[in-house]
Amino acid sequence: MLLIVVSTVSCGDDFLEPVPTAVLVGETFPNNAEELESVLVSVYDALQGVNSLELTDASLNHAQQIEFYVTEMLSDNTRSKSGEGEAGQFDNFTVQPTNGFVFDYYRSMYDIITKANLVLDNIDLAGEDAATIEGEARFLRGLAYFNLVRSYGDVPLIDGPILISDSEAQFTRVATSDIYDFIVTDFQNAIGSLDVTSTPNRASKAAAQGMLAKVYLTQGTNYGEAQGLLEDIINSEQYALEADFRDVFFNEANGENIFTVGYVASNSLESQNFSAEMLNGVGRTSGVNYVTDEAIAALDEFGGDRAQYSKRVDAQQPTQTQVVKWIPNGDADLGIAETSSDPTSAGNDWIILRYADVLLMHVEAILAGGAQTTSSNALASFQAIRDRAGLADDPDNPDDDANTVTVITRDDLLIERRVELAFENHRIHDLRRFGVAQDVLTAFSNANGHSFSATDLLLPIPQFEINLSNGLLSQNPGY
Amino acid sequence: MNVKTKFSLAFFLLCGVLLFGQDAYIIKGTVVSEEDNAPIPGVSVIVQGSQNGVSTDFDGNYQLSVSVGDVLQYSYVGFASKIVPITGQTEANVSLKVDANALEEVVVIGYGTQSRTKITGAVGKVKNEDLDQIAVGTANEALVGQVAGLNIQATEGEAGSNATINIRGVGSIAGDSGPLLVVDGVVLDADFLNTVDVNDIDSVEVLKDAASAAIYGSRASGGVIIITTKQGKEGKTVFSYNTFTGFKEARQSDAYDISVAASHARELANTGELSLRSQYRELLGIDESWQDRIFDGGQIESHSLSARGGSEKTKFNTSLSYVHDEGVLITDDFKKYNFRLKVDTKVNDNFSFGANLAPSYTNRRRFDGSTHDILRQQPWLPIFHDANSIQYVDRNVYPDVQIGDYARERHFDNYDLFGDGSELVDISTTSNQNPAAKVLERDRTDKQFRMYGNFYGKYKIAEGLNFKATLGGDYQSRKQRRYQGVEASRNGASAAQLDLDNFERIHILTEALLTYDKSFGSHNLSALLGASAEKWDREYTAVAVNGFSNDLLQTLGGGTTVIENISYNTEERLLSFFGRVNYSYEDKYLASVSLRADGHSSFGVNNKYGYFPAVSLGWNLAREDFLSESDVISNLKLRASYGFTGNKDLSLGSSLISDNIELYPSLQLYGPNSSVFNNEVVNGLAPINVANPDLQWERSSEANVAVDFGLFQGRISGSIDAYNKTSDQLLLNVPVSTTTGFSEALANRGEVVNKGIEVELRTRNITNENFTWSTTILASTNKNELTDFAGASGLITNVDSKRAAEWITLEGQPISSFYGYVVDRDIPLEFINDPYAVVGGEAQDVYVKDLNGDGLIDDEDKTIIGDPFPDLIWSVANDFQIGDVDFSFTLQGSWGAEVRNIADQYIFNQFSSREDFNTETTPDQQFIKEKIFTDDIISDASYVALRTLSLGYTFDKDLISRVGLSRARVYASGQNLMYITADGYTGWNPESYQSEGALNVGYQRGGSPIARTISLGVNLEF
Repeated sequence: MLLIVVSTVSCGDDFLEPVPTAVLVGETFPNNAEELESVLVSVYDALQGVNSLELTDASLNHAQQIEFYVTEMLSDNTRSKSGEGEAGQFDNFTVQPTNGFVFDYYRSMYDIITKANLVLDNIDLAGEDAATIEGEARFLRGLAYFNLVRSYGDVPLIDGPILISDSEAQFTRVATSDIYDFIVTDFQNAIGSLDVTSTPNRASKAAAQGMLAKVYLTQGTNYGEAQGLLEDIINSEQYALEADFRDVFFNEANGENIFTVGYVASNSLESQNFSAEMLNGVGRTSGVNYVTDEAIAALDEFGGDRAQYSKRVDAQQPTQTQVVKWIPNGDADLGIAETSSDPTSAGNDWIILRYADVLLMHVEAILAGGAQTTSSNALASFQAIRDRAGLADDPDNPDDDANTVTVITRDDLLIERRVELAFENHRIHDLRRFGVAQDVLTAFSNANGHSFSATDLLLPIPQFEINLSNGLLSQNPGY
Repeated sequence: MNVKTKFSLAFFLLCGVLLFGQDAYIIKGTVVSEEDNAPIPGVSVIVQGSQNGVSTDFDGNYQLSVSVGDVLQYSYVGFASKIVPITGQTEANVSLKVDANALEEVVVIGYGTQSRTKITGAVGKVKNEDLDQIAVGTANEALVGQVAGLNIQATEGEAGSNATINIRGVGSIAGDSGPLLVVDGVVLDADFLNTVDVNDIDSVEVLKDAASAAIYGSRASGGVIIITTKQGKEGKTVFSYNTFTGFKEARQSDAYDISVAASHARELANTGELSLRSQYRELLGIDESWQDRIFDGGQIESHSLSARGGSEKTKFNTSLSYVHDEGVLITDDFKKYNFRLKVDTKVNDNFSFGANLAPSYTNRRRFDGSTHDILRQQPWLPIFHDANSIQYVDRNVYPDVQIGDYARERHFDNYDLFGDGSELVDISTTSNQNPAAKVLERDRTDKQFRMYGNFYGKYKIAEGLNFKATLGGDYQSRKQRRYQGVEASRNGASAAQLDLDNFERIHILTEALLTYDKSFGSHNLSALLGASAEKWDREYTAVAVNGFSNDLLQTLGGGTTVIENISYNTEERLLSFFGRVNYSYEDKYLASVSLRADGHSSFGVNNKYGYFPAVSLGWNLAREDFLSESDVISNLKLRASYGFTGNKDLSLGSSLISDNIELYPSLQLYGPNSSVFNNEVVNGLAPINVANPDLQWERSSEANVAVDFGLFQGRISGSIDAYNKTSDQLLLNVPVSTTTGFSEALANRGEVVNKGIEVELRTRNITNENFTWSTTILASTNKNELTDFAGASGLITNVDSKRAAEWITLEGQPISSFYGYVVDRDIPLEFINDPYAVVGGEAQDVYVKDLNGDGLIDDEDKTIIGDPFPDLIWSVANDFQIGDVDFSFTLQGSWGAEVRNIADQYIFNQFSSREDFNTETTPDQQFIKEKIFTDDIISDASYVALRTLSLGYTFDKDLISRVGLSRARVYASGQNLMYITADGYTGWNPESYQSEGALNVGYQRGGSPIARTISLGVNLEF
């Protein structure tokens, strides 16, 4: 009798196993090429990061949106406005292993890697799309490892689905050179699998070529191959410098951007808030990524037209200088329109690779570690960048050759990269790659009362991981 | 016979005919104790099924108007009650037998009732008479201090907000430690408690130990609160009307009463002159009290009308009620409407059925801000610009500000103090919008419609063997609306936003119970066998828009861009089988055994079912020969119990992702996400959890030993319970290496132990005809200890990375402990950059102790600096009855908890760099830390509160019967009229803290103040 009454509600054997309707279940998903494609979208989503009210939260990966903390603010280009808290640790080279941004960036990169691994593990479902899907997944995985290895040094190498219990894979730091081999393989595969795309928001052949070239430059062993890859991009004639420097950032459909992270305005899931954080008290911080005196001086001296579209005086606190490249709420004086009614839900895309970077890498590849070059190929690439910045000679005056470059030194190139690519998260990597980080940052540190030491060049391995590893995972020196 | 009685007699003779019908006459008699023939004063003599009754006088005499056919019931605490049918006799002398147990009280237990004598578990009971005489709006408030071990903390403090309720401590980390709520047999969400009408409650039982709660199995780890609503009564229909109106005001903080005048006086006294900023503030001439502005007080009003009655076959109870509580905060407002209908009918000797339906509607406007944020505003800031303040606006930056606009601190910067451009003075400390605007320009409401009910049929199969089938459930619809106007934020219209959230839940329950009660000589057996199936379907939708250019149309259409668009459903199911056998021998030796098996949809294929056994034993020593003749001991019972309960409720948050992980954690789930390609949003799917097919319930095992006692014929009675509760297999989000793509994974790991003692002592100090005085003392202690944290012991967490005050979760300590540096000494004022820049400013930093003496301050010098769990919670209630006047008061307190009140830092130094120490001149800088990382902002949260004070007068029955009333009482009552906090506590409510999960308990950012209420009320029956 009891059972009769109860069974009126609990009819059927599967009473205790309702099927979720708002999420999918691993037993049945992914099961075909289309479904695998949706997993691939989630890899891009992982790179895009979460625009959250919380600045740091162990369950939310902010990925690209907080990259400027661990790159630009760690360099001599920017700092936080207040110098307070975890953001301030990057300003004065006192980064702690517990720093939330250090952890956020680390886990964000592994989030990309995990999702890419999931795609690659199921690639046999992809059918005729297999090559493209694999190429995109490998490109994104390679990018994530490249970011990791440059910022943290030796890192665990996860190349497929792993179990929670597999602590050896999770906590064994693999030598930088092996990580680079892995990255090279991924990018090479991507180059072979990918072609032209309709949007720089998706991985393309050129994006993979450019990134692989940067890997080679970073390794400093394959300048010739790097030059070849970059010349492939140049000769493909798919990309060109945008005539107006401002449009690179504020006209996203321009022909210069090769790989960018897409955002749209006023969408809680698809907008970014880094733009707001760089304003005065508009985002969740009082203002970060503010421009240092050193970067102001460099831009003023060498930037040409680029200076005004790179930095501006903070109208609310005129002693402070803000980054212009990502401003979301417009600037009438600069002819920049508002892109989002709510700056904390901004739509400005983040540029990871653009043609100007390709041209400057081209110069770097030709320099091949040397002190200077007069190669006409290098001069052409370099001159194009300077011409666009309004540093060209007067075409009507044949005697004006003040701006004609005849020789490029490593210092010239570094300065040019600084002012061209200012606040695009390149500076710290450039300083490392050019081997001048120690000198430059020591001088910067001394001038500003900070205490830089060589070990500050690598971020610490997050304390969270060290704690979990039971001694397996070693910390970087100096932390 | 005294004058009053004579008058009554005369009155009855005159009016009795009209009131009580033809056969009414007066019966009189004396009530004595059977034991010694001594008269018993104060015995209640009532006509069953009516409100007609009297008490015996000092000599045990009584008289009362009765009719032939009435049944008189004589009852008195400590004695077995007696019944005498009225057959026309004019005198009834009665002798009452001492009830050795003193308490033939019936106690509601899970799926049944039991006499207090036979109870072997730890069950607390509150009868309605202790509740509806208190002028409070919700059952939460009414229950504070009523049951030992039941800790109700007004952690939010807004009108209509839910309290945090714990029975015997916190036993879960990721889960919900709150008790299960069962109202009239239907399991409801704990937050139903504040929608129940206090006037409808007949009794509240609290199942505290695992053995008592185990019959509720997988949901009972946090204990069980059972509410039984009033049933109909046979006899004349009785109408009751209870109402009160009260005035509430906030308990303000003197420490936070920061004025420009006082600050400047201090500056003058210390330095002999006013700084430029202070001179500027003098010129402005504004000195606002922000506490007065946001704690605007309010009124509370309650009306409740009920009717109870019925015949021998059909009984009913119905009620209507309304509560309106304006709260003490600006904008908070709570309205509650309740209706109830309960009908029970007997079809024949074997079959009866009944129905119970209780819809309620609440409409709550929230205080949509935080008090710390408002109080940190400087007192020189006006709310609106007027002709005076407008003169100071920095026109270069704010050219459009007009009189009547909200004033912002930044408006007052760059002021040319001497009119010659020599000094441009900044006085702002924040870029925020005016604090009043942040509250007034937002409109946040929660509207909830809830209904619960059941329908049952009961069939007597044979003598003692009954079958009961129930179909029940509840429905909840919650509509939340939040509009943030264009003036609400410093970012203006760009931050204006409308959020609409709808949540709907339907819970259906079917239940079948077979009960068997039988006595075989001295053996008494009571058995229960039951099965139930429950399901919960939830539906959630949320939409948000922004792009408002003004506040004219505060609708979805008034905005331009949809920024959130979410909908999802979830299903949850529970299938249960349970049984219990209670056995007693001569009421001396008692035993109870129970078992419940729960199968739940959330758990993994490997652990679909959980089993929750319990056993308890009791020994009524007072019934043994060697004690039965004792003059001193009238009741002595030893109880011991052991049982298992579970907890399945995870609280991971409220979103599509977390709700689905909560309900289907054993499966590998793929949730939606999206990315952007070429400005088009493209949807994707990715894993959202680490699947765990072995996942199962949190399990608590608890031993309880206790003694119940009654002395001097029950003049002193009470009980002492001691328990040891171990909660293990905790549902923990265990941290995992983020190289897996996740930072945490759900697993059953960890163990928490709660140990404690609960004491209840009830005394009848004076019992005279015209004066009674009784006292109830409750006290409970609980010690919470984390004994296993799955390898994560020492986990340090914070709730705000920007102001990262830390908690530590360390084995051997409570689940949450405050962590940080120990203050050594203050930094002298002379080293502060600009101590008077901020009104009422204090140093941001402090010297801390070098605990390990290594000459530097680092992580090694941090230590546990307090915990948020009280050592002792107590209450003392005194009730006096002096003739027709009743007077009662309850003192209640908590001792030994700490709170981290970060509002101190917001209010005293604004996080302003001007309150930093001077890095050029300050000595021993290596020993300086920001105060928020130290015990400087940890304070003792102990308090003593005069929870209620009530003075009532009950009108003479004879008098009021002339206007057709059978009972009339007027009263004045006060809540929290006295509220004493510990030295060093600066805020306005030591009970308040933000809900940040089990690892970060006790974080107070101002919170809501304690409300003092004075009410006037009337209780009428007719």
